[in-house]
Amino acid sequence: MFQKVIQIPTLNDGTWDFQQLFTIWNQVNDYFEDVRFDFSNCRFLRPNAVAFLGGLARLIESRLGTVVFDWGTLHNQAVMNNLRQNGFAGVFGHPSSGWDGNSIPYREDQFLDMNGIMDYLTYNWIGKGWVHVSARLRDAIVGRMWEIYNNAFEHSGTQIGVFSCGQHFWRQNDLILSVVDFGQGIPAKVRGFLRQHAEETLVAKLTGASCLRWAFQAGNTTKVGEPGGSGLDLLKEFIRINHGKMEVYSNEGYAIIDKDGERYENRDISFEGTVVHITLRCDENLYRFSDEAEPLF
Amino acid sequence: MKISIKDKIGPRCIIKEDGQKIYDEIHGPLKRAEKVTLDFNGVSQFASPFFNFAIGQLLKDIPEADLRRLLQIENLNETGKLVVERVIENAAKYHGDKDYRKIVDDILEQQARESQ
Repeated sequence: MFQKVIQIPTLNDGTWDFQQLFTIWNQVNDYFEDVRFDFSNCRFLRPNAVAFLGGLARLIESRLGTVVFDWGTLHNQAVMNNLRQNGFAGVFGHPSSGWDGNSIPYREDQFLDMNGIMDYLTYNWIGKGWVHVSARLRDAIVGRMWEIYNNAFEHSGTQIGVFSCGQHFWRQNDLILSVVDFGQGIPAKVRGFLRQHAEETLVAKLTGASCLRWAFQAGNTTKVGEPGGSGLDLLKEFIRINHGKMEVYSNEGYAIIDKDGERYENRDISFEGTVVHITLRCDENLYRFSDEAEPLF
Repeated sequence: MKISIKDKIGPRCIIKEDGQKIYDEIHGPLKRAEKVTLDFNGVSQFASPFFNFAIGQLLKDIPEADLRRLLQIENLNETGKLVVERVIENAAKYHGDKDYRKIVDDILEQQARESQ
């Protein structure tokens, strides 16, 4: 049996890092792949990479391949501790189970488990005490984040589910959540929808960036026979008020929403699926209801 | 007619299936121009799919002005109110006719402008 050895580099959450992840996806995007992930060169692994690699492993397995995370090659103790703490290592063959700490557990959802996902967001993500917000505000934030999961399950057509991981970074005081699916991708879904209403030759010219921009506008939805188009809009609004950042990589499209507005770009490397990567600032002054104190949430 | 959402659905108004349950219960009475009250006391978490189905769908055959007159919403917190308002706003857009051919043309025009 020929086993592909894939080197996992040090992975942060910048453009280059996502390109590395999509390149890895390209290397194993086939049936009957037997893959061993080697961590010899990995010095750091952000939660976006953790969620992506976990989902990729399940994708390979769903296509009748095999995956081994070669824990013996992971010599960086900080990375190992993080992967043990967030439960990822335990899920993929390491004899350990997760524990409470700065890590937010790695999570796999095969279906839209409302209570499971809401509990994860409420108690494991924001509710661990590192963001000092009222229960009411915590619930408001969690409701917005849930829209990401809903979109992934409603629109992507993912066969293997949705994968997420997060982390709280004390030094920057950032709270991160990454949600990954290996479905068709937002641009593909938008093109498929518009193709029913307009000529194929025109729709084929729509870039990934244009499709993402359309999908992110209030009131636009690819759902037929039911209203929608509010979820992403509510989420965008929250991100801006929080001075946070939401990045979306989907097919060849890239979107970034932050306090400066929203920008849409086309990228050279494409992959089938969507990554939503959110960074919130843990500054309690940014989060208030109008009847608690200014400023307004 | 008054419905306690917490008793019917629970403390989380999130998913469309739960929204559909409320829609099924209130659509008939509202069509008959009866007043309906939804009491959200004890509900703390909200998301748009619930309201898309519970309320957004009503706008298919009930004009917005009638809906606002007949449907009373009690004890809904600020977050929930924001979601409801956004859903009503977008449902009105959704139920209007859209010219998708023109939408595609507009997107392509914007693409062309940006690539200049």
